[in-house]
Amino acid sequence: MRVHALGLAALLASGCASIQKERGHAEVTSLVEERLGRKTRWNQGRPEDAEVARHLDTLLAEDLTSDRAVEVALLNNPALQGTYEDLGVSQADMVQAGLLSNPTLEGSIGFPISGRGVSEHEFSLVQSFLDLFTLPLRKRVAQEQFVADTLRVAHETLATAAEVRKTFSEVQARQQLVELRRMVLQAAEAAAELTTRLHEAGNITELDLATERAAAEQARLDLAQEELALVEDREHLNRLLGLWGPRTQWTLSAKLPAVPEEEAALEKLESLAIRQRLDIDAARKQSALLWNALELARSTRFFGRVEVGVHTHRDADGPRLFGPTLSLELPIFDQRQSLIARLEAQHRQGERRLQELSINARSEVRAARARLLSLRLVAERYRRVVLPLREKVVEQSQLQYNAMQLGLFQLLAARREQVEAYRAYLEAVRDYWMAHAELERLVGGRLPGSSAGGAEQPQVPAQPAPPETQPGHGQHRDDGTESPHEHTQD
Amino acid sequence: MSTRKTDTGPDSPSSDALSGEPADSGVQPEGTLTRRSMLARTGATLAGGALLLGGASAQAQADVPGARRPREGSAADTGRRYAKQDWQAPGMPNRDYRPVVVPNGTKLPWKVVDGVKVFHLVAEEVEHELAPGLKALCWGYNGRVHGPTIEVVEGDRFRCYVTNRLPAPTTVHWHGILLPNGMDGVGGLNQKAIAPGETFRYEFTIRQAGTAMYHSHHDEMTQIALGLGGMFVIHPRRPVGPRIDRDFAIMLHEWRIDVGTRRPNPNEMTDFNLLTMNARAFPGTEPLVVRKGERVRIRLGNMSPQDHHPIHLHGYQFRITETDGGRIPEAGQWPETTVLVPVGSTRTIEFVADEPGDWAFHCHMTHHVMNQMGHDFPNMVGVKPGGLDAKVRTLLPGYMTMGQTGMADMGDMGMAVPPNSIPMVGGKGKHDSITMGGMFTVLKVRDQLDGYGDPGWYENPLGTLAVAATGDELRRDGVDVNAPPQVEPGAPENRRRG
Repeated sequence: MRVHALGLAALLASGCASIQKERGHAEVTSLVEERLGRKTRWNQGRPEDAEVARHLDTLLAEDLTSDRAVEVALLNNPALQGTYEDLGVSQADMVQAGLLSNPTLEGSIGFPISGRGVSEHEFSLVQSFLDLFTLPLRKRVAQEQFVADTLRVAHETLATAAEVRKTFSEVQARQQLVELRRMVLQAAEAAAELTTRLHEAGNITELDLATERAAAEQARLDLAQEELALVEDREHLNRLLGLWGPRTQWTLSAKLPAVPEEEAALEKLESLAIRQRLDIDAARKQSALLWNALELARSTRFFGRVEVGVHTHRDADGPRLFGPTLSLELPIFDQRQSLIARLEAQHRQGERRLQELSINARSEVRAARARLLSLRLVAERYRRVVLPLREKVVEQSQLQYNAMQLGLFQLLAARREQVEAYRAYLEAVRDYWMAHAELERLVGGRLPGSSAGGAEQPQVPAQPAPPETQPGHGQHRDDGTESPHEHTQD
Repeated sequence: MSTRKTDTGPDSPSSDALSGEPADSGVQPEGTLTRRSMLARTGATLAGGALLLGGASAQAQADVPGARRPREGSAADTGRRYAKQDWQAPGMPNRDYRPVVVPNGTKLPWKVVDGVKVFHLVAEEVEHELAPGLKALCWGYNGRVHGPTIEVVEGDRFRCYVTNRLPAPTTVHWHGILLPNGMDGVGGLNQKAIAPGETFRYEFTIRQAGTAMYHSHHDEMTQIALGLGGMFVIHPRRPVGPRIDRDFAIMLHEWRIDVGTRRPNPNEMTDFNLLTMNARAFPGTEPLVVRKGERVRIRLGNMSPQDHHPIHLHGYQFRITETDGGRIPEAGQWPETTVLVPVGSTRTIEFVADEPGDWAFHCHMTHHVMNQMGHDFPNMVGVKPGGLDAKVRTLLPGYMTMGQTGMADMGDMGMAVPPNSIPMVGGKGKHDSITMGGMFTVLKVRDQLDGYGDPGWYENPLGTLAVAATGDELRRDGVDVNAPPQVEPGAPENRRRG
């Protein structure tokens, strides 16, 4: 990361006098690609952008996957595109900082009023001299500001990607939940139909009939609600992907991938976050630049304004005079104490902010990791134990039904409970993947050893799988010798 | 001279116990036995008389439970432990009595020790088959459920050791038997319960004749519900009433064994789902086999926790000749086709089997001729499933609507059911499936018999079997099957529905 920052600084130092809008974005692209394996692009209304639009259409024509959704967002999220413009602003500031202040040409001319004598004129060309000393430092401050802005933008990009992944999982799960609600409705409708027939045969009361019909109607309403939730989730994803019009017709057929058999190595995630996270890096840069600004202020505290120039003067009756001028501000009263004090405070503030960010990042990583492991346990418990048990309940209910010990109502109730268990399982898996995306965001990149969502689809397992030792639920702790915003070198 | 079955085999009761009927069932002229019996009886009477006359002899001594005697080891203690009792020499099978037949059951072996009939009951857990395909862990005696039938003769001295191999204490109560109070077997009241591993001795003189029972009287709810009981048959010392050729003993009981479980549930109060005769449910019950013309006695004891059983015999009228109080005077014997056997009672019926055939013998409570009836199954009679089956099958591939016309198809459908369960109804019959279960068996009366095993199905003589009416018959008798059914005036309410 540092290497990058340094490289970036070198790059900027070499040619900062002209404005190259793409440069900052290229850096963001490389930062993001390094972390997500996906390119991002700044859409600036140029002919090549039509190419991008075509690419978008190809991406959306096929079934959406999590990775593909992230790619679409990186290319098309309007908020992200807006953020990229910040880089232009920042770079303009940087170019500005590298320019010498312009020389001042002053001229005056005086005409005799009495009619005697000749007119007098005076010209001077004055250049503020201090810039020559402060320019390199000022440039450095501006560069650092630019780097910090670049990092911040890249961080935004990653955050957007994480949100896309989360929302994608939500949509994916919701599609399956809608399917399950349909099954529940089917079961309830079958029960209601049976009640109707039983009532027609004169075997049950109006009360039973009404109760069972009401249950079926409730199932219908539940389905409607779930379907609405699917629409809302899809629209959330549409917003993140910046889609409108026909492009919102994307499909998504892949089922929610099962929780991976093994959890990615979760040790040293805190260090990884401190090392990888771009917002922490940005805060670090911010702190550094405040320090440089402070240095600049300190080193120039006894320099007042220094202006050097030449001037020419011609008196009315004298010879033409030509000579240098020096204008020197005497730092007697204002020695930039206030500015320095402010910068010192701001620098300390930056340090504190960095510290806060780092401590929070570590804590968030731990919490997200605990949540991930916990959800994993829940999902696995459902998959290995609860779902096979529910399967067995249905199977045994069917046998009891065959032996005329239970009626269809109980049989359907068993089926409904099985579906509900499957629903709870799906929700756990969905939450797992959302927690996974969140942890990736908090760590600032893909989790070590984790791949994109596996292709394995969760099914209601027919047989209980053999028990497996679960990964520990304990928290990994660092030894605490490093400062919170430093990463462990490992 | 008619012939009848006699028992010329060894008197070993254990061979009876194994087969449920005399081991060596040859046929002998009646006179032989009569003469033998008469001799035996005379001998017994003489022996009895000798005992009475002879006073106390070492052979005829027995402990008198609860008798007053000096405290052991005290100065007054003479070491004498036995007191004289007014009991007679042991009654012997086929001499003093015709042994009972216990369909599906056994009898408790005994031996004579010093003139006392000595029995040994072992209470223990038993895996018992209630019907083919349905086994349960019950509590019984000597590896049987119910316990083997005890058979004695009025005047016998009865000594029974009871060993408890159950995990809980138990006692044995001699139900309906007249005995000293301390032998009555009510845990806590009459005795200390027999702890697991202990063996207790019960001893008393049989002073009555008739049909009694024995069962646990400790934690009755559990122990009786799990099967701890048996029949106790006491033959009169001298024959009473007409001579009996076949004497059956059947204990009625009811259980709750949920489909797919393997232990009776003793907590059930009313909702019993398995009704048994000698702890077997139809189609697991053995038929009662009788030769035509024989006088048949059926002793019924009801040990059900909650239900009385109106036991109905087809094809005959019978007389109720005994209650558990003993013989009913001839003038008080009722002709019946159904005998109500109340809970905790015995009833004995007698009739002459003069009409051959396969005759149903069953409890007339319709739910008592069902096996493992499911009470959570909705009333499906008259329901038209229409497209429901297809719809439900998308959710439950194995589904099929059942019971729209009743339960009769239950036994034949062959659908997968939980392990260790039997269909509610259905046993193989000659003409079709017999749509009954539970307390149902068949009295098989035949002109000829090869032994007393199941002779197979009855061949109905020509013209004595109900068959589909032919068109000619219908025309001949002017029966139009499509015409509205007719009723005589006087029953105006009796209108056809629809």
